Amino acid sequence: MNGAEELKQSLPSSVISTGMQINKPLAVIKKEDILPVASKVKEMDFDQLSVITGIDYQDRFEVIYNFFSYRKKENLVLKVILDHDSPAVDSLTSLWKGADWLERETYDLVGIKFTGHPNLTRILLPEGWQGHPLRKDYDMDTEQFVTIGEDGEDIVSTDGSKLLRRK
Amino acid sequence: MDPVTIDTTKFKPVRRKPETALEKLEDTGLISTVLAARERKGLILLTTIDQVFNWARLSSLWPVTSGLACCAIEMMATAMAHHDIARFGMEIFRASPRQADLMFVAGTVTKRMAPRVKKLYEMMPDPKWVISVGSCANTGGPYHESYAVLKGVDNIIPVDVYIPGCPPRPEAWLYGIIQLREKIKNEGYGAKWGLNK
Repeated sequence: MNGAEELKQSLPSSVISTGMQINKPLAVIKKEDILPVASKVKEMDFDQLSVITGIDYQDRFEVIYNFFSYRKKENLVLKVILDHDSPAVDSLTSLWKGADWLERETYDLVGIKFTGHPNLTRILLPEGWQGHPLRKDYDMDTEQFVTIGEDGEDIVSTDGSKLLRRK
Repeated sequence: MDPVTIDTTKFKPVRRKPETALEKLEDTGLISTVLAARERKGLILLTTIDQVFNWARLSSLWPVTSGLACCAIEMMATAMAHHDIARFGMEIFRASPRQADLMFVAGTVTKRMAPRVKKLYEMMPDPKWVISVGSCANTGGPYHESYAVLKGVDNIIPVDVYIPGCPPRPEAWLYGIIQLREKIKNEGYGAKWGLNK
């Protein structure tokens, strides 16, 4: 019995379906129950949260969590499905410290809100950047430029005349 | 008064292969004319100030220590003993742009890094040169359609030599450096300020 089936056995009401995702056990879970399910996953000795991915499917968002257990040498993948208008899910920073920057990156590039995150700000792009670039409806036509302010802060604008040599 | 006559037999004949140190110096092209005044047991060197300045500049190009991406790894390989840019007097990578006169833009210039690169360039004292290295710095390369990468560093600062490659091998770096030296050699005095181009 793999980790996903074990999860379904212990929390049958939270797990929607189980399967395999590229040789890794996958469990699709309800987004409201992410915290109790994640607590159970941590009890099952999955001590590392490797990566958090956000995907835009245009009608929905999916957030995918990849776990790894160093003792059991096993992988486990959790997936939650969020509605497209206001994608939000509970933060896992209380369980894995490493979720902090992974969730900030997912917020930065895909725009998913992680409620309960201690510092949900952009991590790669500067503050003030318009839009989330990995969304399908991101505006690729308006180019945004970054300049440095007097205090060393980043200033984002669509006007590149301060930066570019030719107009 | 008698007209001045020059006895050309006193000058050394020009040999095809330079042998003495004096002939080697003449062979560099730096010294226009070397007159050996044997009677005074001294030398008269005739040259132009352009050539001396350019020779001094191209012989001690000090790059600023800045690497943006994987091309910087090739920059390190170029600086190491095997390829050894100390041959060109360039081994002193300065940690401050105020002491440097050459900048390698080695790597991807992201939108967020672009104002920093421009600031580094502006902090360098004149005369200064820029070598753009690799596809990313030249045109944006594989990130040309990205939202976050500048489409060529020549959009923000003037570039003297472009080195293509992804990343360029150290041999390409050396070729680019030699091209820049050739360029500096032929610059007029004040060429960087647009006075004598």
